[in-house]
Amino acid sequence: MKKGNDHGKHKYGMVIDIDKCTGCGTCMVACAAENNVSVRADQSDKERTITWMRLYKISNGKEFPHTEVSYFPRPCMHCDHHPPCVSVCVATATKLDFNTGIVSQIYTRCIGCRYCQAACPYGARYFNWWDAFPQDKGMDRYLTPEVSPRMRGVVEKCTFCHHRLMRAKTLAYAEDRRELEEGEYVTACTEACPAQAITFGDLNNPEHEVSKLIKHPFTFRLLERIGTEPKVYYHSSRDWVRKLGDNFLPGEYTPVVNKTWAEEEWSTKPGRDEF
Amino acid sequence: MKLTRRNFIAAVIGGVAGIQATPLPWKLTDDVAIWTQNWPWVPVPPTGEFAEVSSVCNLCPGGCGIAVKKVDERAIKIEGRTDYPVNPGGICPVGMGGLQLLYDESLRFTGPMKRAGLRGAGQFTEISWGEAFDIVAGRISTLRKKGMPEAIAAVDGNPEGTTVSALIKRLMRAMGSPNYVRPPSITDTYRMGNLLMQGTLSPMAYDLENSDYVLSFGAGLLEGWGAPGRVMNAWGMWHDGNPSKRKTRIVQVESRASNTASKADMWVAPRPGTDGALALGLAHVIIKSGQYDARFVAEHSSGFDDWRSLEGTTHTGFKRLVLEKYSPEQVAKITGVNPKTIVSLAKGFASAKAPVAVYGKGKDSLNGSLYEFMAVQSLNALVGSINRSGGVLLPDPIPLSNLPILKVDAIASEGLKKPRLDQAGTMRYPFTDSLINNFTDAINNSPKSPVDTLLVFSANPFFTLPDGGGFKNALEKIPFIVSFSPYRDETANMADLILPDCTYLEKINDTVWPTGLQYPLYGLSKPVVEPLYNTRNTGDVVIELSRAIGESVGAGFPWENFEEALQARAKGLFDAGGGLVSYDSDAPAWQRKTAGKGPKPGYKSFDEMWEEMQSGGMWYRPVSSPKSWKGLFNTPSGKFEFSSKLIAQAIEDYSNKISKKAALKNMSLAAIDDEACMAHYEAPKAGADSSAYPLRMLPYEMMNLASGWIPSPPFLYKTIFENQLLKDKSFAAVNPKTAAKYNLKEGELVAVKSPVGELQVRINLFEGAMPGIVYLPLGFGHTAYDEFLKGKGVNPNNIVQAGQDPISGYPVWWNTPVKLVKV
Amino acid sequence: MKDPVNSSKKSSAKGGDVSSPSGFFPRWMNINIIAQDVGFFILGLIGASIVGWVIFPAVLYSKHPQPINFNHALHLDSEKVDGIEGETKAEKCLSCHVFRDDGTFAGIPKLEKCTECHDDPESPLGETPQEKAFMTKYVADDKEIPWFVYSKQPDCVYFPHIAHVKMGNIDCTTCHGDFADNEKLPLYVKNRLTGYSMNIWGERISGFYWNKKFSDRMKMDDCARCHTEKGQEQNNACFVCHK
Repeated sequence: MKKGNDHGKHKYGMVIDIDKCTGCGTCMVACAAENNVSVRADQSDKERTITWMRLYKISNGKEFPHTEVSYFPRPCMHCDHHPPCVSVCVATATKLDFNTGIVSQIYTRCIGCRYCQAACPYGARYFNWWDAFPQDKGMDRYLTPEVSPRMRGVVEKCTFCHHRLMRAKTLAYAEDRRELEEGEYVTACTEACPAQAITFGDLNNPEHEVSKLIKHPFTFRLLERIGTEPKVYYHSSRDWVRKLGDNFLPGEYTPVVNKTWAEEEWSTKPGRDEF
Repeated sequence: MKLTRRNFIAAVIGGVAGIQATPLPWKLTDDVAIWTQNWPWVPVPPTGEFAEVSSVCNLCPGGCGIAVKKVDERAIKIEGRTDYPVNPGGICPVGMGGLQLLYDESLRFTGPMKRAGLRGAGQFTEISWGEAFDIVAGRISTLRKKGMPEAIAAVDGNPEGTTVSALIKRLMRAMGSPNYVRPPSITDTYRMGNLLMQGTLSPMAYDLENSDYVLSFGAGLLEGWGAPGRVMNAWGMWHDGNPSKRKTRIVQVESRASNTASKADMWVAPRPGTDGALALGLAHVIIKSGQYDARFVAEHSSGFDDWRSLEGTTHTGFKRLVLEKYSPEQVAKITGVNPKTIVSLAKGFASAKAPVAVYGKGKDSLNGSLYEFMAVQSLNALVGSINRSGGVLLPDPIPLSNLPILKVDAIASEGLKKPRLDQAGTMRYPFTDSLINNFTDAINNSPKSPVDTLLVFSANPFFTLPDGGGFKNALEKIPFIVSFSPYRDETANMADLILPDCTYLEKINDTVWPTGLQYPLYGLSKPVVEPLYNTRNTGDVVIELSRAIGESVGAGFPWENFEEALQARAKGLFDAGGGLVSYDSDAPAWQRKTAGKGPKPGYKSFDEMWEEMQSGGMWYRPVSSPKSWKGLFNTPSGKFEFSSKLIAQAIEDYSNKISKKAALKNMSLAAIDDEACMAHYEAPKAGADSSAYPLRMLPYEMMNLASGWIPSPPFLYKTIFENQLLKDKSFAAVNPKTAAKYNLKEGELVAVKSPVGELQVRINLFEGAMPGIVYLPLGFGHTAYDEFLKGKGVNPNNIVQAGQDPISGYPVWWNTPVKLVKV
Repeated sequence: MKDPVNSSKKSSAKGGDVSSPSGFFPRWMNINIIAQDVGFFILGLIGASIVGWVIFPAVLYSKHPQPINFNHALHLDSEKVDGIEGETKAEKCLSCHVFRDDGTFAGIPKLEKCTECHDDPESPLGETPQEKAFMTKYVADDKEIPWFVYSKQPDCVYFPHIAHVKMGNIDCTTCHGDFADNEKLPLYVKNRLTGYSMNIWGERISGFYWNKKFSDRMKMDDCARCHTEKGQEQNNACFVCHK
């Protein structure tokens, strides 16, 4: 069986460098501000709080003073191979667009059954339990017209800021172009990251930085072995971080040590344990 | 004809059949379906013309460049600017959520207001600006007529050196009150340390981007220290995707596995408050191994070797002090750090090409310790990293014009002779500008408040001061409080009168030299949107207030408005020449250019420069080459002083006045003689019996939570983990071993008790917490603002028992004895 | 409460009718009665048709005149109005209904555009009472005109004009109809139930069109149909038109 959607024109994806990631949370705030994500008084209940981009805190579990924490910023993975949410949607409210690789979510079509939420292995989908915006506080004044505010009773998730793709295309058309340059369309989190930890681009275009980065031996994906081919990649020089990318049984994980083909270009110096 | 039942049924059947052939059922079904897809209560954001306005963020002294996206008149998103030198592209999460601070109406004061309810209840009635000015000016004039202008006091949280801060200081002087105090900040510690060791008054300038070994003593590089946009950008550069291309080592010295500590190449965890000892331990290894920069030490420093004074007494030098008292084994006892680690750390630091040791305490919004700073700075001097590329630079102060000399009247000059309530600048605290903790004590310790009218600018001392709630008590005693805050913060809720400022997106304002930046930068923010409410720029209000008071006070403010005052100061930037007002991201400001190669300013006149500054928002000079050594250090010896002559003199002067013993006690000094003039370690005095309070509480700061006077945008609470805040309870991070000792489990409710108070929190078992320390996050526990911020978690400042830092007198907020009691 | 006497009477009378031996055919097949039935059936049919075709549309839609009239025919005369350029109608449309530099479509011009010519509230350029009203009500107070937008789509729809008009070479009139020669703006007809303009669902209440024009309706099916017909089937992915 053929994996992925090679027949499409573009396949947008991102690589998040966990070494650069500072865990500051700017991506989460940028995402919420960009996408009219709702804000409620109590946001500590993480099952009810909507965060299209969410930081997962991880730790190497070692004792003091050898403890390290790190973060997996988790947008929607935009799975390329039978996205689990798409196959279960009874209302066809979510689809994988083969031309962009983006998994769409149409709020007006969603019936709120939350099947997709249960199906998503990454917890990337969120249900609107309440109407999003406090009525009398003037907070609807910062909403952007580029993204539709959601109503209660529908599921929402990261869209790879597809409205930015529209925006970039519109600008390209105004300039009499049909194709986009690298960097013309990036997501809000990519742009916002103060440490430039996120790289976004077209995985089908070998010239794009992302296509090069995903070949690196330090690059991995979350729950890679369930075969959904996520288009969000992670990159870390620390073994323990890579190991947490999947649920490995003892002995299943092979540390990355000097992959020969890349030895010249990519050094795999030991992590800080040997510092 | 009679209509029978049968006829009727026939007609109904006809009707039912007929209606099928009309659009009614079909169209109605369709429309009803569409109607169910209408959510009239869901806002539909109006669209329009998209535009982007460049400005500068004022939410912290970092001053990052921001680009605000607008649709017609509405601002819809804040992004980082790529054409601004401080933060090429990125900003911190607080800045990113800034629009909520503009548009969340319940966070803000919508116009001048008078208190209507009890203090702290937050009930106000709106009044006119004229009425508000009458009230304040009347009160001040009465005090001045009574000959007691010193009963007016101001707390000013605007960053030091900004124009609005200069105007507030000026207003205080013109009115005749010496009681101008500021909340403490790390820049105070830098300023004092640099004055004592280098004799310079220019801001701290760490050349981080050009360094190859950054050794941070407690500076929360990823927690918001300095200009967060700058530091995080540097972090990204330091961590090339290909580890072999990484040129810079980062080492974090901190007791908790913070983000900086975890993400650094190495983490060293000394006990809180012993960073200075660790630095001296490194110095010991470096001196002993002869790895120090002998040339710098010989030519540009004093007090390294022992010396004989003119009277013939032998004085101990830095070398002897360090060699005798700070061997790795001795330091290991103080800090708990493995001696081997100390040695390898020292070797690594000394053998780097351009190492720099950075001092800090979390973000820059709380003070540090003077001797700790001196220890870290001594380490920089030892390896020759002072006035060297990639180390600590000594740039000239920013060339802003001075405001014209202020003529004060007789009442004011009498008032200014009165002693400051906080005793800053007296023989007891000879180098300190302002001591808000003492100010608080002075009010709390006298039966009647010596302050009659308190003006609060851009500060929320009620919440932010690590004083165990002292300032709150002081506020209750002060008869009249005026707040200039745009936000309904805790301090403003205690105020009797509100003269609300505009938010940073609605006004013109300046930022002067972001903390730690290695080149001079002056940022100018502009109104991104028209003021939403009846608020006024405090800069304008201060000028107007001076006029309302009249007499010589008004005469001291000859400007039409705040913008004119800004221009008056910025004139100096033009006169100094060579400043750039636009930025090209291909020529980073931190990159050294060969002489004459860098970009040149394009403006010809001041007006031209000002116009460009208004659109670009910046004036800066790219990083300069190290300066000529001649006249660089303005200390008594003319050199970098390991042993500060100014401290020696101050102790002597004070000892001559009162007894030596009393002088040392008042200055909170344990060390005597030569040791007191140099970086050294002093164990802080235990504030309480360690058997009753066996643990220590350390407040910690986070990048994604504002802990200063600016409220956190509600968006930020999305980024808080559920083991930091759950519903209304925040968490104390405790090492599992410590928790096991008290039989505490994850999530369990405990009371953290200190000698001055107690707080209820949940327990978070965190391996990265040092055993014996209770870590409480700063920024929770607001009792003001709206439902997004109010009543969430606790504010650790409320149980801080702060001692006094030797010489400086700043609060030692990192050493509160506590115990944990199960609830 | 039922009256037992009356009800029994009634039923007995009825029963008497049915059992009456007046002919071979049962009474209900009596031709008169059938004729009567048919009559009433047709009556119902006609009534329903009136309700369905006349009353229902009248009740369903509300009609709103635009706040002021705008004479397209007059304003498109490049000899009378400065700034109207171009040969084709589409080019002329774009003189006022502009694309911004970023490619977004400005839609109905703002007051600012009007005041490029109608700049002085005291001296109107023409003599119509409409212009006078426009001057005093809007220009003088610098107030935007609250136009009703005939083709306003719901918020979830993303329609880039530039992709269709510039890249797809579709004439404005294809979807909007020809306004160029209109001297009077049509009434804005709004569906009371859905709140949408009638132009979205289509003017024909029947919903049937024999000669399908794109300007007839603007529902999702119509977008998809056109994409398919023009060989842009891939553009029927959800996120092409939805936001």
